[in-house]
Amino acid sequence: MVTAGLIHYILNLLHVTVHIRDVCVFLAPVFSGLTAISTYLLTRELWNQGAGLLAACFIAIVPGYISRSVAGSFDNEGIAIFALQFTYYLWVCSSPEGFGGVGHKLNTRLDAVSAWGGYVFIINLIPLHVFALLLMQRYSRRVYIGVFALLQAYAFLQYLKDRLTRQEFQTLFFLGISLAACIVFLTVIYLTYTGLSTSPSLHRCRSTSRPRGCPSSLISTSWSAPSQQAFGFASRTSMMNACLAGKVRKHVSEQEKAEEGLGPNIKSIVTMLMLMLLMMFAVHCTWVTSNAYSSPSVVLASYNHDGTRNILDDFREAYYWLRQNTDEHARVMSWWDYGYQIAGMANRTTLVDNNTWNNSHIALVGKAMSSNESAAYEIMRSLDVDYVLIIFGGVIGYSGDDINKFLWMVRIAEGEHPKDIRESDYFTPQGEFRVDKAGSPTLLNCLMYKMSYYRFGEMQLDFRTPPGFDRTRNAEIGNKDIKFKHLEEAFTSEHWLVRIYKVKRLENREALDHKLRSVVSRQKYTSKKVSVFPLRRDGFSCSLSFMMLSTTYSCDPHTHLQTPQKIKTTLNSRERKETSNNQ
Amino acid sequence: MTRRSAFVAVCLLFVAALSSEVSADGLVNEDVKRTVDLSTHLAKITAEIVLSNHGQSSVQSFILAVDADLAPHMAYIGASVKGDEEEHGTLELQQTSIQGQRGEFYKVLLPSTLAAGAQLKVKTEMMFSHVLKPFPTQITQAERQLVVFQGNHYLYSPYPTRSQTTRVRLASKTVESYTKLGNPSKTDEIIEYGPFRDVAPFSEDALKIHYENNTPFLTITSITRTIEVSHWGNIAVEETIDLRHTGAILKGPFSRYDYQRQSDSGISSVKSFKTILPASAQDVYYRDEIGNISTSHLQVLDDSVEVEVRPRFPLFGGWKTHYIIGYNLPSYEYLYTLGEQYALKMRLVDHVYDDQVIDYMTVKIILPEGAKNIHVDTPYKIDRMPNQLHYTYLDTFGRPVLVATKNNLVEQHIQDFVVHYTFNKILMLQEPLLVVGAFYILFFTVIIYVRLDFAITKDPAAEVRMKVASITEQVLTLVNRRLGLYRHMDEVVNRYKQSRDTGALNSGRKTLEADHRTLTSEISSLQARLKTEGSDLAEKVGEIQKLDGQVKELVCRSCSEAERLVGGKVKKETYIESEKSLTGRRQELISRIDSLLDAL
Repeated sequence: MVTAGLIHYILNLLHVTVHIRDVCVFLAPVFSGLTAISTYLLTRELWNQGAGLLAACFIAIVPGYISRSVAGSFDNEGIAIFALQFTYYLWVCSSPEGFGGVGHKLNTRLDAVSAWGGYVFIINLIPLHVFALLLMQRYSRRVYIGVFALLQAYAFLQYLKDRLTRQEFQTLFFLGISLAACIVFLTVIYLTYTGLSTSPSLHRCRSTSRPRGCPSSLISTSWSAPSQQAFGFASRTSMMNACLAGKVRKHVSEQEKAEEGLGPNIKSIVTMLMLMLLMMFAVHCTWVTSNAYSSPSVVLASYNHDGTRNILDDFREAYYWLRQNTDEHARVMSWWDYGYQIAGMANRTTLVDNNTWNNSHIALVGKAMSSNESAAYEIMRSLDVDYVLIIFGGVIGYSGDDINKFLWMVRIAEGEHPKDIRESDYFTPQGEFRVDKAGSPTLLNCLMYKMSYYRFGEMQLDFRTPPGFDRTRNAEIGNKDIKFKHLEEAFTSEHWLVRIYKVKRLENREALDHKLRSVVSRQKYTSKKVSVFPLRRDGFSCSLSFMMLSTTYSCDPHTHLQTPQKIKTTLNSRERKETSNNQ
Repeated sequence: MTRRSAFVAVCLLFVAALSSEVSADGLVNEDVKRTVDLSTHLAKITAEIVLSNHGQSSVQSFILAVDADLAPHMAYIGASVKGDEEEHGTLELQQTSIQGQRGEFYKVLLPSTLAAGAQLKVKTEMMFSHVLKPFPTQITQAERQLVVFQGNHYLYSPYPTRSQTTRVRLASKTVESYTKLGNPSKTDEIIEYGPFRDVAPFSEDALKIHYENNTPFLTITSITRTIEVSHWGNIAVEETIDLRHTGAILKGPFSRYDYQRQSDSGISSVKSFKTILPASAQDVYYRDEIGNISTSHLQVLDDSVEVEVRPRFPLFGGWKTHYIIGYNLPSYEYLYTLGEQYALKMRLVDHVYDDQVIDYMTVKIILPEGAKNIHVDTPYKIDRMPNQLHYTYLDTFGRPVLVATKNNLVEQHIQDFVVHYTFNKILMLQEPLLVVGAFYILFFTVIIYVRLDFAITKDPAAEVRMKVASITEQVLTLVNRRLGLYRHMDEVVNRYKQSRDTGALNSGRKTLEADHRTLTSEISSLQARLKTEGSDLAEKVGEIQKLDGQVKELVCRSCSEAERLVGGKVKKETYIESEKSLTGRRQELISRIDSLLDAL
């Protein structure tokens, strides 16, 4: 982010008036280009130019890295991986060439440190390597310059601190930072000791000694082992492997060289196989990239029989409606999948988003979605929700909609609220998840179901199917008579893909009947509001009691002090009981 | 009592004085045909007035009055003389005021004086925005939109009117209520009032019509029109538009089902509209903050480019949207030049949709960097803001930006403005030179960087390697040059064989000797340097030297052989034979030298 801001600032200073958005969009691709170059440099340093080229090709097509470097993916990893590769390169360079690039190295290292959580990975590896060098009795002055210059600097700062006693707040701050750096460094050294046992590859590496200051196999193995440990199942490792793949190639050629006795047939077969593998990999990468990372998932395109393209722009339609026609401070409740999209495109506050750090919050949203309307209304009121947004694919047959994701909402809600939500309630007795008549009544009356299928029961999509036929789940919906009490349809996009409901405020509840107003007289119920409760029987009496409440407020200032709370809670509990009875 | 009557008398006197003052020029509206067009969301009031001069003297101008209640909403006022043959075009208007009377007044200057007793037919046109008030102000999706218009039954005029009619055109047959002055007749969408006879000056009588109007009540709440002129042949136009449905506000839910299934559901909502762009418009884009709006269509016609602008969602009452539309125009159609003087003639505001209403407009005209002496001619009065500077690619001191704003515009405001400025054509070279300079500096830095060594520590081995490489490079060129000498000598010998010119041969031999000596000594000095560097290549160079000595010898021998042949001391056959063996040996030696050179 700082990098993008800096680039934007510098470009605009030179009157290259690029929009900050364009800078952000193209930052990742530009840095991925630099990554390919630094991969080439690193591998060339380790083996030769051919291997370097191959590694650069690999990193250029590895889907794991492409997913983080496509135009528009503005993530710190785009820069961090470049910083990582470049740090390795400079470190490798610095060993034989006398730490010429130490300054650069520190810079990129700092960049990586600030940019990516993977900094631990880098700052652990370099001391590890230094330690290995020490073990191998390859200590030299240059190593000292490279690493312990930092320590010297720190010691110098310590000295300064003693001299200049608390001059400015700024210096203190700076010292604090250096102290933190020292602590990090000490832990690193500690980790180095502990890390030794975890990398047995070091023992193997001792035997290998190459003319250059740092053996390539040592680097590759010692760095790949922790990398596998750290990101065992993350796609980031594929990027590391791209570098290693160049080395695999090297090993193959090495073997070929070593076993000169092998016949030309075997040689050519091995070469053919390797080529086949590489080609298949290239095809695979192209496929993955074009399918998974290139099409914007926010716009759906379909093709007619005559080849004309149909664009379903429902997501942006609804998001833009939210952006333009709702209050600036409106809060939107939706499943977390759409959190970032709503924040970015609709510019509205969301309860949960793709940064899924707050599990209890997500569970609460899931609970609201899977409860009946009244219970959901309680939750939504407590969360100050103004609008609810859901994705419904039943009209066009879009399978990634909220009903298909619904079981996850139930499960996550159950994890936090096992008393209120049970997954089994949403299945038929046979254990099926069905939206038609055979579906479980809990499902057919939950908020998500009602919001998805509101007025869908009247809709006949074509003549072969009955009204209310869900194309995604190929079923006629089970609950066609859906009415809302606390919600109101606010917007539905052209193909019904996005539906937005407005949560009514309390004032919008049914108005007081004028006839009954005469019944209520101020003199009659001045202080004993307890007598109000027997009156409450149905819908309007609820608001009636509120009116009573206000009368008591005005009449008896002493007794109502602790009562409003009490009345409200009783109201809520009664209401809940009523709704559960309805079911 | 007496005091009161006196007061009344004074008042009467005052009124009389006033009326006499007003009608001092003796003008009378003989016949007035008013049309109040309420079929859109605008109120267009046109009147055809037969003015006659009943005074003593001829008049130069007459006064046009606007009702006080409508005046704040007036977007446009215009008057033209209606002759028998053809229209004389629009007349010039100046705002004035009349003491003691409400409303706005405009003095219309006649093209020719109206003599006493003469008559003239004029046509006046007024446009009012936001005067049709939705009532009820909120409707549901299924309801139709009803609006109320409040105006005047009579022509508001400072002159007495002999006879007048008022015709009101509505948007639909459905009328809730209308004032019934003089028992008007109503047929379908038209209500006819009058004729009213002998109406006094400044007569007002409230006209009120409550009727159904489902035409799109679209309003451009603000538009920013940016025109960027480039002297490289392009004019870029971009309009940022805030649009709002200012009809009755949608109450309650919006049901997509009803909207899709019932044709009269949301009848007053706006689905799309057409924007007409200039015929030469290219690269049209239509987008908003979140990207391209995919629901638009472009149609290129002979005399215009039509964009069917469809907002992302249908606009219901109270809903708003925001979008950007832009296109490029070739500058030769709008930019005129004479020497260093330039004139840009374009529309100040362009068509967005039919019967458009613009509440607030900002026009920004970005002229090329270095434009001076800027002067603007506008078709009507607009508020100029202080000039700004705009920086874009390759700008150094910024482009001048003219900024102007205006409120309440309608279709009649689509008129041309002219900007005059001067521009030194030399400045056209500035940007290419800037690019050239930047690349020059870049390449120069790279050259310097490559030539210099930034390493902190020295690597002696690498240094030696580089030194050796440069020496061997020199050795290679020298050896090749030496071999070239032999070839040259061969040619000399061949020529000698034909011309039998001994002098030429001797001089050739001499130069060979001299050149050979210098080259050999240079190579041996290089060899010595190689030795000091400790390279094993020195031995190879020595070997080359040895072989070269033999080659030299052979060349000399072939030379002397040729001499002997020419001198007739040898027979031709023996010469050919010896020559053959000599060349064979030479070839062999040279190939050995080559292989050694390759190994270097």
